[in-house]
Amino acid sequence: MDFTEIKILLCDDSMFARKKLRMFLSSLGVVNISEAADGEEAVTKYKEVQPDLVFMDIVMPKLTGIEALKAIKEFDPRAKVVMASSVGTQSHLKQAIVLGAYDFVQKPIDDAQIEKIIRNAMK
Amino acid sequence: MFAQFFGAFLLNNKLVSPETLAQAIDDKKNTRMRLGVLAINAGLMTAEQVEHVNVAQQSIDKRFGDLCVDFGYLTNSDVDRLLSEQPTDYLLLGQTLVNNGTLTNSQFEQAITAYKDQYQLSDDDISSNQNDKLSAIVKDFFHFNTAENARIYTDYVTLLFKSFIRFIGDDFTPMESSVANEAEAQYIVCQKIHGKYTAELAIACPKEEYISFAERFAKEDFMEVDEYVNEVVGEFLNVNNGLFVVNESNQSGIELSLEPQHYVHDGKVKFEHQAFCIPVAFAFGEVEFYISVV
Repeated sequence: MDFTEIKILLCDDSMFARKKLRMFLSSLGVVNISEAADGEEAVTKYKEVQPDLVFMDIVMPKLTGIEALKAIKEFDPRAKVVMASSVGTQSHLKQAIVLGAYDFVQKPIDDAQIEKIIRNAMK
Repeated sequence: MFAQFFGAFLLNNKLVSPETLAQAIDDKKNTRMRLGVLAINAGLMTAEQVEHVNVAQQSIDKRFGDLCVDFGYLTNSDVDRLLSEQPTDYLLLGQTLVNNGTLTNSQFEQAITAYKDQYQLSDDDISSNQNDKLSAIVKDFFHFNTAENARIYTDYVTLLFKSFIRFIGDDFTPMESSVANEAEAQYIVCQKIHGKYTAELAIACPKEEYISFAERFAKEDFMEVDEYVNEVVGEFLNVNNGLFVVNESNQSGIELSLEPQHYVHDGKVKFEHQAFCIPVAFAFGEVEFYISVV
């Protein structure tokens, strides 16, 4: 798989969480990485960049990850949004599935799981 | 996690000083277990018998295990079994303290017997890191049984200690808890959990400890506290709280939400209700954790 052609959007209010994920994606060879620090920015950036895959935190200021997911799916029903959060409760999972999330990963993020998700999403 | 509470037990019973314990925690990774301490821990030999073999070894050119068999203290199969078992962390700590002369074999024997008796621990409990036993120790050690929400405090703090081992390091000792209405420190990170109940959680410490804590979690080096360092410590709290919220959802069917963290520099955080303050002594210094549940 050619990772250099993939566009990924990272949405997390934690600079640290974004940096960790960015570093791992870079190690895979992903070069087109955009970032958003809150839910509102996530929606704006999605419309601007139209990424192949989005990693979305849930607890974020302005718009939560769930609200941002809803807005993104309304804009682009084919959007692939992976919820990457520390709070993967049953109710969050249900909400995310109903709204059409592509996948759900629990923090702390497991690099191997992220790679698998990207490979599946890009098939 | 039994090693951390064994350390706290030794500290509380004034068998070690905080400095000696910190050094022993650091040294134990290079410690090799000896048969005498293993045999005392297994209840197969007394400290007196171990001393007898130690003295005999000075005049008889034989291995410790062979002498134990000669004196009838152990069988060959006891020796093989003891030497083949994977040493637990608390035993490595005990062996380190015996090696550096802080504890005699007799003091180690008394301490390990009293520790196991106090928490009704067997070697199987310790080697399998039994969760219910760990929870029982946490509940008793921090006096959570006096609190209205004892189960929540116990589950939260048990998870917190597991997160230390997973993300920060196992070189810490839990200290006696106290009750507090506010936290005051150079740096504080707070986060609220709400839903069926509300919990306020905070990490508070001076600058150097704050930086060291962040360095351990991020696996990066920092010189000063900036927004990024704040976010690293905040992310530790967020990840731990997230795991707790997921456990509550999966195990108890309780749905909770997390609020974004907030940060205080050179100030106080007042809790809506009384909090438990749990100081934890890491090798790099002391960090306080606060938890209040209503």
